[in-house]
Amino acid sequence: MRDIFKGSFEDIFSRINIGFAIILLALGGLFGVLQLLSRTPGSPIKVSAATYYQILTGHGVFLAVAFTLFFIMGLTVFMSTRILKVDINRLLLKISLCMTLLGAVLAAVSILTGKARVLYTFYAPMKAHPFFYIGAALLILGSWFTAFALFLQYLKWRKQNPDREIPVPIFGLLATWIVWIEATIPVVIDVLKVYLPMALLGASVDVLEARTWFWFFGHPLVYFWLLPAITLWYYLIPKRLGVELFSKKMAKIAFILFIIYSTPIGLHHQLVDPGVDARLKYLHTVLTLIVGSASMLTAFNILATLERAGRKAGGGFFGWIIKLPWRDPIFSGMILALIAFGFGGITGIINTSYQLNNVVHNTSWIVGHFHTTVGTAVALTFMVASYGLLTELFNRKVIAYSLARIHPYLWVIGIFIFSMNYALAGLAGAPRRTYDLTFGGMAPEIWYTYLKAGAVGGVIFALAGAIFVLIFILSILVNKGEEVRIFKFGNPHENLNEKHSVIDNIKLWIVVAVILIILGYSIPLYQLYSQGLSLVPPVAKGL
Amino acid sequence: MVHKEETYEYIWIVIVAAVIAGLSVVMAYYGFALNLNPVCNATPIDIKEVEKLTPGVKEIGPGIYEITMIGQQFSWNPNRIVLKDPKRVIFKITSKDVIHGFQIVGTSVNAMVFPGYIGQFIWEPPNNFEGRFLIICNEYCGVGHHLMYATLEIER
Repeated sequence: MRDIFKGSFEDIFSRINIGFAIILLALGGLFGVLQLLSRTPGSPIKVSAATYYQILTGHGVFLAVAFTLFFIMGLTVFMSTRILKVDINRLLLKISLCMTLLGAVLAAVSILTGKARVLYTFYAPMKAHPFFYIGAALLILGSWFTAFALFLQYLKWRKQNPDREIPVPIFGLLATWIVWIEATIPVVIDVLKVYLPMALLGASVDVLEARTWFWFFGHPLVYFWLLPAITLWYYLIPKRLGVELFSKKMAKIAFILFIIYSTPIGLHHQLVDPGVDARLKYLHTVLTLIVGSASMLTAFNILATLERAGRKAGGGFFGWIIKLPWRDPIFSGMILALIAFGFGGITGIINTSYQLNNVVHNTSWIVGHFHTTVGTAVALTFMVASYGLLTELFNRKVIAYSLARIHPYLWVIGIFIFSMNYALAGLAGAPRRTYDLTFGGMAPEIWYTYLKAGAVGGVIFALAGAIFVLIFILSILVNKGEEVRIFKFGNPHENLNEKHSVIDNIKLWIVVAVILIILGYSIPLYQLYSQGLSLVPPVAKGL
Repeated sequence: MVHKEETYEYIWIVIVAAVIAGLSVVMAYYGFALNLNPVCNATPIDIKEVEKLTPGVKEIGPGIYEITMIGQQFSWNPNRIVLKDPKRVIFKITSKDVIHGFQIVGTSVNAMVFPGYIGQFIWEPPNNFEGRFLIICNEYCGVGHHLMYATLEIER
């Protein structure tokens, strides 16, 4: 057992991952601003169509896949070593770091040199440079070693503490990585069976097969991003407030719901796919609504914790709200992230609502949706947590703390303006992803009003992002000053029961998850393969 | 013994469960009793046979039209459709190359278009739908994606 990890390999691992994640955030964000301005009518800044689709691919891959993955790897090891206080297997971490970095570099090179203009969903039969797929595979396989390291570390802790209940943040991290394994097995199958033969040998592909495996991965992927953010809310918000979490039990039940329901729901991304049975689409719709309930539990739990803290500080019926520490960026950022996630959750329920999906599918409504979920609930939480990591992990004082206080508010104001307008444009039929929305002058005028207003919001939250990146980088480069402990990640104040209940029986929940995945996907896969594949040749032209 | 605070939590869970059950029932009713489903039917087609299809509009009954549509980088064929007093429109859509997305702006017509499959669905335009509608490709299909559009005119 060790208490001090400063300068240890574990901390170096976390620093490299989180530092790299912030660089990816800056780059992906820059791509985002360029593409936003390029598609805004009347904007003086406009890149070419080829560049637009290239940086759109970069924006999606760098932010949604790479930024999140590297940040989560670093955060996981940072938290698990401090909370569990048992050794983690360093060899596994080293393998993980080398593979993921190599994978990221290969994929980044293919995108930045314009050899992979296939977007983050890389739908076959579009063909990118093999580096793109090999990079993706390495990134994913490499990340599995971090998962294995965490699982082994947990088992070691369990051996030393046979009866103790699992701390909530560790429960959250375990759920995160279990969901990641559930998510990535299908995409590894997809890449090995469909994409690598296509990219390396020019093999023909079946579009439905490629999409079914992709979305088998694509939805649990979003919970992989979200679960560490929720873990941070459950862990840090009560800490910032100096109270206990309202209900540890409900927090764990929410994580269990994610473990068992996050995967057998991918068909809700294929609701308008020809060739998928209506009954199966409906089944996945209902299962998606159930996984949505987990977030309703989270919202209740966090808000009840806030009320408890506010009332303890002397607030009344509504007065407790103003008693909360709104000037603390870590607190305010996480609560604003939670509020944004409320909008993200509601728009998400609309997306998955079977018939309603026809109205919003592939419109800019979806862009509004995911900028409140992964773009705020996750990204803003990670950014404000980084202020804590600067002191605890990087041993730096946060410079320009007054700007750091403004950053979360500015971000959320920008996101709100952006997402609202993009959602409204989507309801009016404006497509997502498209470079130029004039369509020979036939596009409805109202699109332009929404797109221009949305761009204002986009620039505002890009500015907030730039403030964050500058604070982070400058704090590391110039501010080597004395340690200022803003808060402590380690040594949870949680009082752990010495007796664990069935809720802590992770193995049971994995078994339930596997059964549900088999139930949810055996029929779609059986139908897919029994009706026979319809193969088409890969297409590299026009990309 | 149930703590008072826990009671609130259980009430909340019941509300959430009721909302989920309500939504599920409504969607099932519309989908399976009223037969309002998104596009689901598809017939496999050898991509070499796509050339042999005749894209265009056929009136197969009074007010009943069958439209065969082919998407390719970066156009729809046909790219101008005129319908006189349509009641029921049967779409049969496929692609010559990559995935496209078929959307008629201002309606709920929205379907993925796959090479290797002919997707089929029925649209019943409401009586007050009149004039020119914009058809776009809403799934990224290459650098000319934004140039891929067509028109649909409804005359009454």
